Amino acid sequence: MAGKTIVVTSGKGGVGKTTTVANLGTTLAKNKHSVVMIDTDIGLRNLDVVMGLENRIVYNVVDIIEGTCRKEQAMIRDRKVQNLCMIPAAQTREKTSINPEQMKELCSSLAAEFDYVLIDCPAGIEQGFKNAIAGADTALVVTTPEVSAIRDADRVIGLLEAAMVKNISLIINRLNAKMVKRGDMMSIEDIISLLSVPLLGVVPESEDVVVSTNRGVPLVHDRSSKAGAAFRGMADRLNGECLPQDGNGSNGFFGRMKRLMWN
Amino acid sequence: MLGILRRFLGDKQSGQIARKRMQFVLMHDRVDITPDMMEELKNDIIKVLSRYMEIDRGSIKVDLEQGKDFMALISNVQIKRVYRHAT
Repeated sequence: MAGKTIVVTSGKGGVGKTTTVANLGTTLAKNKHSVVMIDTDIGLRNLDVVMGLENRIVYNVVDIIEGTCRKEQAMIRDRKVQNLCMIPAAQTREKTSINPEQMKELCSSLAAEFDYVLIDCPAGIEQGFKNAIAGADTALVVTTPEVSAIRDADRVIGLLEAAMVKNISLIINRLNAKMVKRGDMMSIEDIISLLSVPLLGVVPESEDVVVSTNRGVPLVHDRSSKAGAAFRGMADRLNGECLPQDGNGSNGFFGRMKRLMWN
Repeated sequence: MLGILRRFLGDKQSGQIARKRMQFVLMHDRVDITPDMMEELKNDIIKVLSRYMEIDRGSIKVDLEQGKDFMALISNVQIKRVYRHAT
């Protein structure tokens, strides 16, 4: 059976696409699924540094597509987790060096071998975006509770629907519960009602994210991090498991969030 | 404390302001109707209504409104007199 191909996208840059890919990929692989992550941000690759694999790159996604190497040669195995590997983007090439048809082909050949193909999409809605979504059957749209990120997310959702990507869910990143409580940040309900797509999960704003990217070790390895726990919960839900958010049941904010997701 | 003070002074919470602004912006982004098209639409509505009633042309308003999972076009116009037979 073919694996799932999932694109992580946002429109706006810097909202946490790469972090999301790294953490969901790591969690799914830890849970015994085979996972390949593809960085499609040609010219501005970053998944390699977030994963701490920047020193191992020889070939990249453009090399596979151009036939310079076999796809196995470009896959970099993770240092910590088995069943997890990554295909880096080319750093010195143009977004136009690959096209949507070629990406579609690559994704379906990877989906035949892996349980999950996670695609890290570049910011914007141009060629790079079109390449990234071409081979995906599911899309995760990442947004933060800011007006610019939400507006761009809405545009992207429209484009995904037009491109017939059927399963679209939302990830709200960097939510500051204190600010929401004070009324100075849009709430989870506000964002869902604006964008009207189902919610996969909410990541609280956390310094842990910066620390983990500094180290090049995905956050989900840190059992004490709340943001890491949020990503673990999302990976489980993505996998169809109906696990409630752990450890935050008493918290009003998480309680509300849970109700929103399970109804 | 600051929040309470601000609410007391009648300052709107910025989260709500953001939500309202986004509702408006997203609706317009989604429909993508140009002001010219809106004007044309208005004139067409006037033309149709005028066959049945005398209306105050200056009073017509056409707005888009976002419902929970639908979008509505709402038009308000003052009627002066309804014709007995359509002209």
